[in-house]
This record gives sequence, C-alpha cells and structure tokens, in this order.
Amino acid sequence: MANLFSNFKNMMYKNYGENPGTMLVHTGVLGWILSAMAQVSAVVFNDKISKEQKSFLIPQEIADAAINIISFYVITSSFKNLASKLVSTGKLSTIKIKNYINSKVKNPSEYIGNLNTNIEKDFPELKGDYKAFKNGVDVVASTVGSIISCNIVTPVLRNEYAAQKQREAIARMHGQDKKNEIPKTDKISMDSYIKMASMKYPSGSLKV
Amino acid sequence: MALYSIKSSILNAPLYQGALNSMRSIKQKGLNILPNANFSDEKFLYYLNYIGKNFSSDKQRLALGVTALATQPFIDAHNKRVDEKTRKVSVARTVAKIIAGTLTGFLIRYGCIKSIKAFSQIPGKGVAKYKTIFTPKGVTDNTTDAFEQYRNAMGTVVALGVMVFTNFLIDAPLTKFLTNTFVKHQELEDKK
Repeated sequence: MANLFSNFKNMMYKNYGENPGTMLVHTGVLGWILSAMAQVSAVVFNDKISKEQKSFLIPQEIADAAINIISFYVITSSFKNLASKLVSTGKLSTIKIKNYINSKVKNPSEYIGNLNTNIEKDFPELKGDYKAFKNGVDVVASTVGSIISCNIVTPVLRNEYAAQKQREAIARMHGQDKKNEIPKTDKISMDSYIKMASMKYPSGSLKV
Repeated sequence: MALYSIKSSILNAPLYQGALNSMRSIKQKGLNILPNANFSDEKFLYYLNYIGKNFSSDKQRLALGVTALATQPFIDAHNKRVDEKTRKVSVARTVAKIIAGTLTGFLIRYGCIKSIKAFSQIPGKGVAKYKTIFTPKGVTDNTTDAFEQYRNAMGTVVALGVMVFTNFLIDAPLTKFLTNTFVKHQELEDKK
C-alpha cells in the first residue's frame, strides 16, 4: 500500500511537474468523470425514484456525462495541443528565442513552422526561456479551451439533448407516438417542465 | 510476439503509411496558413510567465465560474424551446448552480493545494515525518517549478476526491436554496 502511494506520487511528479497545461486538462477530465459518477449514483441509490423512472433517468444521466466529458476533453486538449505545436515549431515565440534560432539555423524560414521542428529538443540550451513561455501559453490555451467547452459548447449541446429527451418523455406520458405527434418546434409548457423536473435529480449542480 | 508482428505489419502497410503521409501534409498545410507571432513586450511576457507558474486549478475554476456567469444564463434566457416562465426558472437555477459550484469548487481546491504544500516538505532536521507524507521520493529541492506544479496537481486530485462528498453535502442544498431565493425575488419583481 505504501509502495503504491509512493509510486503514485512519483508518477504525478514525473508527468505533471513540468506540464501544468496537461495537468489542467487531465484534472478537468477527472473532475467531469467524478461528477458523472456522482450524478449516476445519485439516481441509482435514490429510493424515491421508481424503477421505471430509473430506467429512463440512468441512460439520460450517462448520455449527459458522455457529452460533458467528451466535449471537455476534445475541445480543451485540442486548444492545448494546437498551442503546444505552435510553440514547439516556433510559429508562436518570443523575439529572444526567434533571434537565437535565426543565429543558429541556416534556413530559418524553412525551420520555423515545420511539423518536424522541436525547439525544446533541438536547442536544449534555451530550456529556461522556452519552458517558461511554453508553460504560460499551454495554461492560457487550456483555460480558454475549458471556458469555451464548459460555458458555451456543453450547455448548448445539453439544452438541445435535454429538450429532445423531454419531448420524447412527454409524448410517452401522453401515450402518443413521440415522433409523429409532437412536432419538433413545440414549446414545452411549465406544467410539463415541472413534471419532468420533479422526476429528475438536480444533477447539473454536481459539477465539481 | 504475435501481437507485435500484427502491429508492425499494420504500421508498415502502404495504406497506413499513405494515410499517415496525407494526414501530415494536411497538418503542415494548416500550420502554414497560421501567421508567425513573436512577442517582445516585457510586461506581457512577465504576466504569461507568471500565469504558467502560478495559475493552478483553483484559479481555473474561478475563471470558469466568472465566465460562466456571463455566458450560461444568457444561453438559458435565449432557449426558444421552452416558454417564458420556464426560461426564468432555468436562468435562476443556472445562476444558483454557478455560484454554489464556483464557491465550493474554488475554496476546496484552494484549501487542498495549501494543505498539500504543508504536507510535502523536504525531509530534514526539525521536519516532522507527517509533514513529508506527500513528498515524492528523491526530491531535495522545494523551490523548483516542477515541484510547485506537482503540489498543485496533487492538491487538485485530493480536492476532487473531497468534492465528490461536498457536492451532495454543500452544492446541492446550496443550489436549491439559492434557486428558491432567486425565483421568489423574480416573482416579487414581476408583481410590481
């Protein structure tokens, strides 16, 4: 057990010690996974929810969780990876780093922006300046990516999905064929919303 | 061994190599489209450096919460799929959720990162053993960036574990209380 904890500490130190941007992406995903587990277990272990309601709510919570986790990971890590690539190939740089590269490379215009370029490997002597700049860019990119994912993309996708699921459930409650009887453009009434809301655990509040 | 040879034959297959080359060429073209940017402003670079060193998950959670207040209620208020009364309730609930989630999310992360700092000291004379419980093996310098980032990461992981429980104990009831308060306030405003 002590060995396991020691290995865990070393793994954390090795993987995240020099990569704060990656740490923000990975702990963000872990946060969403834990939130999703809390949401699903809140439904599974809630005695006030009937078996029939659970059969509807559990898949909905799992789908909700999938939207949250996938959109967070895809958007945030794409922002972070793109920023890292721009810095490692020299597309995004400081004047100091650029001047150093220009003085060392025969053809700077071919070197900078080439997919094979890796400034960190090619110029280890630049480590201090390069690492400080790269960490800053990584953290800003991860944060911007997480803001776009959590505050814009995910709420829009979730609203879309929730509205569709509510329409289906209302149609089922009225004993109608969900596809034929409830047109897509119909608004959901307050009564229907309250009925649905009372069935659903307030899972949105479980975002950590 | 068999798995290795299957993997190697797939990786060396002309089709795979062709797809890989096409992908590379698309990526390179994408990279070429983007303009080069070289920063020289000392102040800007100082702040960028500062963010890279000091912006841990607690600050990220705070940034997410503040920007969420600016975007999510707006998205809910313009959700045309529900009627006006529902929209108002859903905006109130979203604002309550953001305030409760950001408050607990920030404070617990901040507290856990601080605690990990206290319990990850470098072993030595006068340092109690319990104060080194989170110190990785072989680390002798607690002033490096890498060690500081490790403390942030470990603090965040511990905070996430704590928040699984505080979600139910603090967030959910606080969200309910704030939602009811906002809805009541909204109803009073509507009556005026």
